[in-house]
Amino acid sequence: MPSYLLKRLLGMLPTLMIVVLVVFLFVHMMPGDPARLAAGPDANLETVELVRKQLGLDRPLPEQFLTYVLNLAQGNMGVSLRTKLPVTTEISTRFMPTMLLTLTSMAWSVVLGMLVGIMSAVFRNRWPDRAGMTAAVSGISFPNFALGMLLMQIFSVNLGWLPTVGADSWRHYILPSITLGTAVAAVMARFTRSSFIDVIHEDYVRTARAKGASEPSVVGHHALRNALIPVVTMMGLQFGFLLGGSIVVETVFNWPGLGRLLVDAVNMRDYPVIQGLVLLFSLEFILINLIVDVLYGLINPTIRYK
Amino acid sequence: MKNFVLPRGWRTLCLGSILAVSLAAPGVALAAGDVVFAVGQAFETLDPYNTNSTGTQSAGRAYYEGLYGFNQDLVLVPLLAESHEVSSDGLVYTFKLRQGVKFHDGTDFNADAVKVNFDRASNRDNRLARYNQFNRIAKTEVVDPTTVKVTLTEPFSPFINAIGHPSAMMISPAALQKFGKDIGFNPVGTGPFQFVEWKQTDYLKVKKFDGYWRKGYPKVDTLTFRPVPDANTRTAMVQTGEAHFGFPVPFERAQQLKDEGKVDVIDAPSISVRYVSMNVLQKPFDDVRVRHAINYAVNKEAFGKVVYAGHAQLMDGVVPKGVDFAHVSGPWPYNPAKARELLKEAGYPNGFETSLWSAYNDSTSAKSVQFLQQQLAQVGIKASLEILEPGQRVQRVSQAPDPKQAGVRMLYATWSASTGEADWALRPLLASEAWPPQLNNTAYYKNDVVDANIAKALRVTKREEKAEIYKIVQEQIWKDAPWVFLNTANNVYLRNKKLSGVYVMPDNGLSYADIEMK
Repeated sequence: MPSYLLKRLLGMLPTLMIVVLVVFLFVHMMPGDPARLAAGPDANLETVELVRKQLGLDRPLPEQFLTYVLNLAQGNMGVSLRTKLPVTTEISTRFMPTMLLTLTSMAWSVVLGMLVGIMSAVFRNRWPDRAGMTAAVSGISFPNFALGMLLMQIFSVNLGWLPTVGADSWRHYILPSITLGTAVAAVMARFTRSSFIDVIHEDYVRTARAKGASEPSVVGHHALRNALIPVVTMMGLQFGFLLGGSIVVETVFNWPGLGRLLVDAVNMRDYPVIQGLVLLFSLEFILINLIVDVLYGLINPTIRYK
Repeated sequence: MKNFVLPRGWRTLCLGSILAVSLAAPGVALAAGDVVFAVGQAFETLDPYNTNSTGTQSAGRAYYEGLYGFNQDLVLVPLLAESHEVSSDGLVYTFKLRQGVKFHDGTDFNADAVKVNFDRASNRDNRLARYNQFNRIAKTEVVDPTTVKVTLTEPFSPFINAIGHPSAMMISPAALQKFGKDIGFNPVGTGPFQFVEWKQTDYLKVKKFDGYWRKGYPKVDTLTFRPVPDANTRTAMVQTGEAHFGFPVPFERAQQLKDEGKVDVIDAPSISVRYVSMNVLQKPFDDVRVRHAINYAVNKEAFGKVVYAGHAQLMDGVVPKGVDFAHVSGPWPYNPAKARELLKEAGYPNGFETSLWSAYNDSTSAKSVQFLQQQLAQVGIKASLEILEPGQRVQRVSQAPDPKQAGVRMLYATWSASTGEADWALRPLLASEAWPPQLNNTAYYKNDVVDANIAKALRVTKREEKAEIYKIVQEQIWKDAPWVFLNTANNVYLRNKKLSGVYVMPDNGLSYADIEMK
């Protein structure tokens, strides 16, 4: 197992290097000139050129790439063109709010989603199934910006129970995590249900019942464990997406997270910040994949790592 | 595996959230004397000389002051200067400075401080984003501690407007020395409030400056500026009392908020014009009859009602009311029959096909171009729409290298003359020197009378004479109609009923010198 992990971690390096190169090229090929955007509409051509020099964008592209890679090797991701702050500072101040919101949203939505999924599978085609799946389909269909605005209108403006924006106390997490988690819960419910239905007709489930295991034990032990593999895969994917920061939820709740940073960076063509964020997101996905693979082994001991 | 305890976990969580909701006390406690502004734009830097964001400049009025400033009606008033004199050739400006003013760090404000700031702004090597506003300063000399003399490279009659602009602030020379390039994170000025803290993602906080020269001011203890990009959220914050001031507010919600009556909804005029430029180098826009036809074809009254829910004024001249030297030539009447007739005369009896771009991708702009597309269709002009995101706009409009090859045809854009004076409402948009990539003359309009008079006005210091020159310019442009003259949208903002002395100025900046909280 440790040697497997080491191998996987080392295997990340070439992937990340390719990401660095592709992102750098892609970002610089995007239409739009960051110097002009930073200088604004009042600036004439001469001022735009001054700003270009100030931002270091007047140097040839290979030179800029080389500097970028050399700095990156020392953990320096450059300076934001927009705010002049180091990219590492820009990203790190927004990472924790996004991480915490992702965790709180995932926690409730995974638990609720799986529960509804199992109920629906066990009571297939009876009313708990119908109710559960209706809720799930509604959860997927209802756009989350609308949900966010609706929740804010009811709980903050009309009832005055919860604050509208900010990320200072636990009360600030309630509305955004409900908004963000609803779709995840719905996806989890659908996934658990279908995976569970496949498993529940397997021979070993019948065997378990035949040997006299109680129904909760059959469902919770024999069936669930086997149904969990696709569910965990989906969970990993959802987690990765949420860690990228939800643009919509962060805008509605003014959440100081990574999604808004990405939007601002793309709008202003803030190359170093875009590069840093894409790099971070790739790294997150690779790590989550690794964790999911390890989880497979814990769930199903027949899976071996070499 | 312990997966079967899931239901219990869920139950706890559910209970937890019910508890959470019921425990949460209504309303949010606010520090006494703290006024919270929910504003649309985030701050990029706090160095006024190195930004174009109106938001940054608005917040700057808390801790910075210039020699001159604009009041809430965009009228120039002396701040750190008491008066000035201009030499007869328009080259030398002598300022008499206010005495007994101190910066927040205890440094004296005097002629030396002015010199340090103007030298910094006019030095090309500092590569500041507002360099072209100060590039005419040849030298700044200290005559005595309260007198400073600025010599220009060429006569520039709107110079006082340029230094009344919220970018031309006086920064403490000691602080400039101490912080260097980091002055953008550590503002030190002479303003009524002094800088406390700036958390980029969250807020900018300032507190009352006890040594402020205007005795008895400011009347509140602290101000907090919170950037909130979503307009609905901003509105909700003022409704819940978490913010005392919110701007901008979605036009379509203004009436409903007014009816609720919980907060003051203020509808104030602005100088930000909405227009569509037509590329006059290209067919069919090279024909003035076509440009007139399009102006007749658009129902601007309906445009204001549909897109701005009525919170707009018809454009009645090239330069909007509120900008100095504005001249009334319109508004342009709505007459689709006349439009069709003119198109027929110009040789387009069945209209033509063209493209209409929006320079911005917000929802109001998208609505605007959709409305215009529908209006143009009424007279047979089929316009394909494209809503440009900022990078695309820069690439395809601002940076177009060859005027003849430029892809822009009709472009929906807005402009707010940041110096509050006709020069900056005309020169960057309609003088031939301003063709992209230089500035924003996206109509590629060129008229010798206009060019000559815009240049001439810069050399004239007498008001009456200048007004006469700008009248000729504006009449000419109105006649040539390189734009579809649409409207100026109002600034709609929300204010807590206890708050007074806070305004959105016609240039979208905030004015709060007399801020007070009952």
